[in-house]
Amino acid sequence: MEKSDFIGRDVVSIRDFERDQLDHLFDSVEALEKQPRSLNDILEGKLAVILFFEPSTRTYSSFHIAADNLGMKVTGFASAAGSSVSKGETLHDTIRMFEGYGADLFVIRHARPGSLRFAAEITDVPVINAGDGSREHPTQAMTDMYAIRKAFGKLDGLKVGILGDLRYGRTASSLAYALSNYDVEMTFIAPEALKMRPEVEQYLEQRGATTKSETDLKNVVGDLDVLYVTRIQKERIPDPTEFEKVKGLYQVNLEALARAKPSLKVLHPMPRVDELAAELDATNYAHYFVQAAAGLPLRMVLMNFMLGGAS
Amino acid sequence: MSKREAGEEMLVRKIEQGTVIDHIPDWKAETVAKVLRLDKLARMQADVSVAILQNVKSQSLGRKDIVKIDRWQVDERDADILSLVFPGISVNYVNEWKVSKYQARVPDVIEGRIRCPEVSCISNAEREPVVTKFITLKRERLLQCHYCDTLLGFDAVPDHVSG
Ligand SMILES: [Zn+2]
Repeated sequence: MEKSDFIGRDVVSIRDFERDQLDHLFDSVEALEKQPRSLNDILEGKLAVILFFEPSTRTYSSFHIAADNLGMKVTGFASAAGSSVSKGETLHDTIRMFEGYGADLFVIRHARPGSLRFAAEITDVPVINAGDGSREHPTQAMTDMYAIRKAFGKLDGLKVGILGDLRYGRTASSLAYALSNYDVEMTFIAPEALKMRPEVEQYLEQRGATTKSETDLKNVVGDLDVLYVTRIQKERIPDPTEFEKVKGLYQVNLEALARAKPSLKVLHPMPRVDELAAELDATNYAHYFVQAAAGLPLRMVLMNFMLGGAS
Repeated sequence: MSKREAGEEMLVRKIEQGTVIDHIPDWKAETVAKVLRLDKLARMQADVSVAILQNVKSQSLGRKDIVKIDRWQVDERDADILSLVFPGISVNYVNEWKVSKYQARVPDVIEGRIRCPEVSCISNAEREPVVTKFITLKRERLLQCHYCDTLLGFDAVPDHVSG
């Protein structure tokens, strides 16, 4: 596997990547973590255009710093408010404009599902999906998998629970797609209204992935090697009384983990609200800060691969 | 001439030019009209006559519907979408009284014609220059939006035709 596999290509869906490509990416992230300055300024003179039609300060910063470290010039916007988009400019026209300004790479977040597939069709410049509505967030899934590999030295043979809003949570769908490349047993833990979307289940079934569904974490927590926690937003559950009933089932704290293996690692795409208790931070379960830190080198390696910089 | 044909003949005469859609499941002719967007013929003020026969006796189906469109050739791509909803349907083109059967096939990709059921899908965004696109999963009898991945059952297609 060569990194040339990545040159010029788009990162729209994690499904577009095969296992050996992902492994190669992770090996390179590991190397960068050992020598954090080894890619500095390697893409000097290139222009990264970061367009966040849907605001997210943290993800925006992560891409911005990654591009800065690589020596790229960065332009774009962190939210549509105040940009030409708020005056009604379409995604299509915005991309065309920045293409004309000499973009070498686009990083785009947009609220509409499917917007990134469309963006990639508009321009020949490589595009990274930084979140398209409720659908996908491939660089987060890559980061998540890398963090799991870092904790266990492997992905094969692990039992991974994915908990929370699996229906609208793009990180949950992307991670499930990604894990289907490995011999991983996935358990989806969610209330009925927030189960994995049919197309995700359809894809996993077609790939022969081992999956099961559960509504109560307690029933499965003792089996898991990894627990991936996502937030349930109140407004996602149609019936408010239903939300009050289920919310306790999806709060991860020491009590919820009473029967967990000592080696369990808890991940979370961050930012967290109250679904992940601060009392876990000081325990060996907490792996989410390691995970968050991995996002930066991963994005640096990926951008460098896509633009064909030396390594 | 068989009895069956004689029965049909009594209801509506043969056409010289146009399309005959046969072997429609009984009482489903309106769904066919919906898929073919026959209402657009009215908007175009086309010189076209449509005969809808329902619950006609059929040797193979017991009962069936037939749609005859005089002086209008149904687009082959629409005929293909019809065959996806009703696999047993036959689409016949009539040219100077001569009937030729169109061999409909389930397309691998359908562009335009069908709206994505996910309302927030980019392909439903009003001002973006984007044409809907679906990939067919034949074995599962599903369409999948090329953009947002949402699935649409073949049977639900008539509710999502656009135009
Ligand atoms: Zn769609």
